[in-house]
Amino acid sequence: MSQLMSQPSQSDKAKPLLTASVHDVRYFASLLRGIGFSNRASMRFTAGSGITVTVEEARTLLATSYVYADHFDEWAFDVDNLQAAPSQLSAPDFDRHATSFEIPLNTLLECLNIFGTANMSSSSSTGSKHKQWRRADDASDDERGDDARRPNANRIDQHFGGNEKRTSMRLTYAGPGYPLTLVLAEDSSGPTTTCEISTFDSEPNLELPFDAEQTALKIIFKSSFWLRDALSELDPSCEKITLIANPVADVQSAHRGIPAKPLFRIQGTGAFGSTEMDYPNDREVLETFECSRSVSFSYRFAHISRTLRALQNSTKTSLRLEQEGLLSLQFLVPVPRPRGGMSDSFIEFRCLALDDDVAQ
Amino acid sequence: MRFRATIENAPIFYRLIQAVEKLQKKCIMKFTETEMHVICNDDANEGGIQVWSVVKVDTMFTSYRIQSNANNAITLTLSTEALLSALRSSSSSASSSSVAAAIIPSYDADEVVMKLAKKNEQAVLSFEMYGMSRSGRRVRVAHDVRIDVMRPAESDKLHEPRCPDPEVHVLLPPLLKIRTIVERLRPLSDVLALRANNSGILQLSINTDTVKLETQWVKCGNPSMAKHEIAQNDENDDAEDILLNKPDPDKMFCVLVSIRSFLKFLNSHVVSATTILCLCHNHCAILYVYIGEIADAGGVLTYYIPTVIDGDE
Repeated sequence: MSQLMSQPSQSDKAKPLLTASVHDVRYFASLLRGIGFSNRASMRFTAGSGITVTVEEARTLLATSYVYADHFDEWAFDVDNLQAAPSQLSAPDFDRHATSFEIPLNTLLECLNIFGTANMSSSSSTGSKHKQWRRADDASDDERGDDARRPNANRIDQHFGGNEKRTSMRLTYAGPGYPLTLVLAEDSSGPTTTCEISTFDSEPNLELPFDAEQTALKIIFKSSFWLRDALSELDPSCEKITLIANPVADVQSAHRGIPAKPLFRIQGTGAFGSTEMDYPNDREVLETFECSRSVSFSYRFAHISRTLRALQNSTKTSLRLEQEGLLSLQFLVPVPRPRGGMSDSFIEFRCLALDDDVAQ
Repeated sequence: MRFRATIENAPIFYRLIQAVEKLQKKCIMKFTETEMHVICNDDANEGGIQVWSVVKVDTMFTSYRIQSNANNAITLTLSTEALLSALRSSSSSASSSSVAAAIIPSYDADEVVMKLAKKNEQAVLSFEMYGMSRSGRRVRVAHDVRIDVMRPAESDKLHEPRCPDPEVHVLLPPLLKIRTIVERLRPLSDVLALRANNSGILQLSINTDTVKLETQWVKCGNPSMAKHEIAQNDENDDAEDILLNKPDPDKMFCVLVSIRSFLKFLNSHVVSATTILCLCHNHCAILYVYIGEIADAGGVLTYYIPTVIDGDE
């Protein structure tokens, strides 16, 4: 654990490097909660683009949340105010336009939810049981489909949007060595909460670069529901998840002793047995399916199940597999823009595949 | 030793015991000619929290008759849960939640009589109610709550914690909201700082290596001492002195308490309409929880939370 560098309460006097504010902290909180499986998170503020928060596990799983600057009502990154130690300023990779640090993520989430109104009313996985396979002749439109899958999130917001209190947040950060300061309030008549969360030097992050040239499989799920439903079906005693895919031309069902070559199969195996879920070549489910060669890679179920919270709050999911087995899952999370309309934020999980010799 | 009273205001009695039940399994009840006291002063309580409550008997009872060799006062200990059950069935309006109403027997008690009795050589507080069931038949329900009578010598030793005069009194915002916030703070720290001043500012804060957090309310009322009659004695003289000295209204006074004990107090949100926090700087926090409207003087629960010594602050 690196050295604690926070100085108490000096940040009031220093002009902030970054000031960002948002009138409804739920979306920010949900983007953080989606990767909140570890208390140690690395946070990066970049002048032009926004905030990225990264969490890793076992040098195998890497999760990143991208909160773009256009989600915030106010975003002021004052490059001239970057206060850093002289040794840092002269470092070769020093970037005036970005700053990063480590922060206790669970503490940050508790602070954001101090008034109890920072939770998205997202549907639980039990809501997914109502979804039926859509038949070819069904004329239902996508919009309604999406809404139905997250009945709580959209409908309740519309009905109770006026009555429910929202927590607003103002975030300031003075620079390396200073704490992250948040000011939260529900409304002008209620209480105001100010918190200073200690920040730490950031350790070099695990990097799992995904080489787009090496993509063996690319799937875009029309709705995250399709993946979420499958993963929640898997018994928690499952130890390993295997992803199997074959190019469209090679797909065939099992016959005469020759095993099947499914289009896309999720297989869960554990001490108690195994589960196989096959996906059809249906554009309503797999909006995009590109597979250049047969692939089969396994991952620890414990790591893949870390993605469930992020899945719940996302609308679409993209799944990509590299030739060596690196898995990249990207979850699209719609967030409101300050002046109306929605924009997209992302949560991305990357996971290294289990060694073939061990997996088989 | 004789004691008999008719309970007129079961809901108030019920809510009082409901708040106490969340704190301690057994409580002490002291009945005098004019007052009923409910006391929880167990040393084992979280953070040393104590509750002393007082209700004037006229508010709650009629036909109140008490006689004993100890100045016509009777002190006893009993199980708060058992007492609560007895009170719950005494009136369908005693518990206000609709869930409870489904469990409560569907008769309206005309009269609930509480009296000291001996059943099978065991001293009990007996609750007897007569009512009319839906089919028109007379119904008699009796609850016997086992009690231990306290000897006068022991009872005389009971006294509220001695505190200096509080420096500040502040009207608390709705307890439910405070509870939401303090519940979030519980995993972050063991110690909570309560701060307030005489200009209507109230602050709840924590300070650890990982995080410093402070929640502030402004424009809280600062009631004057005269408002709560059922307060500690001997303060009238001192009140005048304080008014003459007129301390700086912006000065903040602080008491550090165990966060868990403050949460125990916050569980009394079920009964409170109005709550006043008094801070004895660096000594203790006293909270007056009024059951019903203050003007009605229905009853007051007084919570004492002593300060904790914390290295950081």
